[in-house]
Amino acid sequence: MGRWINKIIKPTVAPEPEDHIAIEDLARLADGAVDKAENQHFIRHLNRCQRCYEILQETLKDLADEASVQTTSSPWWKTRTAYALAASIILVLLIGGQLVFNYWNQRPQVILATLNLDQQLKDILLVDDALRWEKGERVNRLVAALQQKGLQVKELNLVVLSKPYYQKKSLFGPKEALHIRIENKVAYLEVKEMNQ
Amino acid sequence: MDPEKILSSDEILEKIEAVCKRHFSAEVDQNECYVFVIDGLKADNFKRLRAYKGRSKLSTYLYSLINALVVDFRRKRYGRRRIPSGVVKLGKWAEAVYRLVCWQKFSFDDAFDFVRIDGLFEGTYEQFIREIAPIRNAPCRENPTFQSIDEHRGSSLQNIADSGSNPLEFLIEKLDRERRIKALKVIRETTEAFSEKDQILVRLVYGSDQPVSVTAKVIDLPASAARRRLKGLLTKYRERLLAEGIREP
Repeated sequence: MGRWINKIIKPTVAPEPEDHIAIEDLARLADGAVDKAENQHFIRHLNRCQRCYEILQETLKDLADEASVQTTSSPWWKTRTAYALAASIILVLLIGGQLVFNYWNQRPQVILATLNLDQQLKDILLVDDALRWEKGERVNRLVAALQQKGLQVKELNLVVLSKPYYQKKSLFGPKEALHIRIENKVAYLEVKEMNQ
Repeated sequence: MDPEKILSSDEILEKIEAVCKRHFSAEVDQNECYVFVIDGLKADNFKRLRAYKGRSKLSTYLYSLINALVVDFRRKRYGRRRIPSGVVKLGKWAEAVYRLVCWQKFSFDDAFDFVRIDGLFEGTYEQFIREIAPIRNAPCRENPTFQSIDEHRGSSLQNIADSGSNPLEFLIEKLDRERRIKALKVIRETTEAFSEKDQILVRLVYGSDQPVSVTAKVIDLPASAARRRLKGLLTKYRERLLAEGIREP
C-alpha cells in the first residue's frame, strides 16, 4: 500500500460524524449497487469519516482477494480457454496450409513504424484493457492519428496490442515509443520505453 | 439466510481469522480480535446477521460486517491505550511521534516528516533527534523494536519496492526529506481541492492501492472513464508539484 500517500490523504476530519453508513449500504457501495443520489451522499460521508472509509477499503480488499482466488482456483490446463486454444491450434494446422501457401506467394505490403507515444495515442490506448480491437470508433481514431503522423494507412480491420497499456508510474516520464507493424489491415502495437 | 449455519461455516471462520491477522501483528491481539468478531456476530440472537436485507451480495455484506467489527475492536483497544505521561509532558508533537512510531509502526525518521507536515514540530532534524530521547525510552508493548531507528529503516526500504504502480508514492520515495515534506503538503492540499468523487477516487486508488476497476464501481463510473479522470488528476498534481519546484530527481 502507498503508505505515505495513504497517511497523507486519508479522511481526517475531526470530530468524526456519528451517523455512520449502514453496513449493508457500504456493501452495496462496494458492489456498485447504489443510485446516483445515494452515491453522492455516501461519498461525501466517506471523505469525512475514517471508520466508514476504512471498512469500505478493507471490504474492497476482501472482494479483490475473493476474485483472485476464483480466477486461480482451477489448474490452467483445465480451463475452457486452454481447451479452446488447443482446438484452435489443431484447426489452424488443418486448414492453414493453403493460407500459408498464399502468404508466401503473394506477400502483402507491411508497414513498420516507431512513433513517440504522445497524449493522443495514449488516450486511444487507455480506453480499456482489451488486447484486440475490432473495427469501430477506437480503431478509426487510431487510423486518423496514424494518418496525421504521416503513415499511409487507409483502413484497419483489427488492432492487436501486445499487452494492456497503463499509465506509467513515474509522474514525470519516462518517454515511451509505440512500435507498429501493419499487415493485411491488421495493426500490431507494442509500447516500449525509449532509451534516454 | 440461517445465521447459525453461516457462523459454523469454515470459510467464514477462516475469513475472520485472516482479517484479524491483516489488522494485528501480535498473536494475542489476533486471537482477541477473532473472539470479539464472533461474539459481535452472535450478539442479540445474531442481530447483525439478521439485519441483512438482501440488497447487496451476501458475501460482500459479510466482509463489510466482519471488517466493521474488526475496526471497532481496534478502536476500542486503541481507545483504552494511554500515551505514557513522560511523552505527554513533551507536548502534542511528542504524542504524535509516539502514536506514529509505537502504534502505527512508522520509523522516527518518517515521524519527523509527518510532524513537520502537520506543523507540530518546527525545529531541525538534529533538534528532533535530541528531543525524542525520552520517547525512545518510553514503554511500547505494540512495537518491541520501538527504540531502534535502524530496524524500521528496513520497512521503509520495503515500501520503495512496494510503491508499485503508484506514481505519487513512487515520487515521494525518491525525494529527499525537505522536498518530500513539501511535496506531501502539496499533494494533501491538491487532494482537498478536488471534487468529492475525485477525492475518493484518489484515496482508494493511490491511498489504498485498490484497482481502478474496483474503485470505478464505487464512484459509479465506467472503468475507462475513471482511468481518464485519474489521468487528469495526476496532471493536476504534476502541475502543482512543478509550480512548487518539485520534480523527480
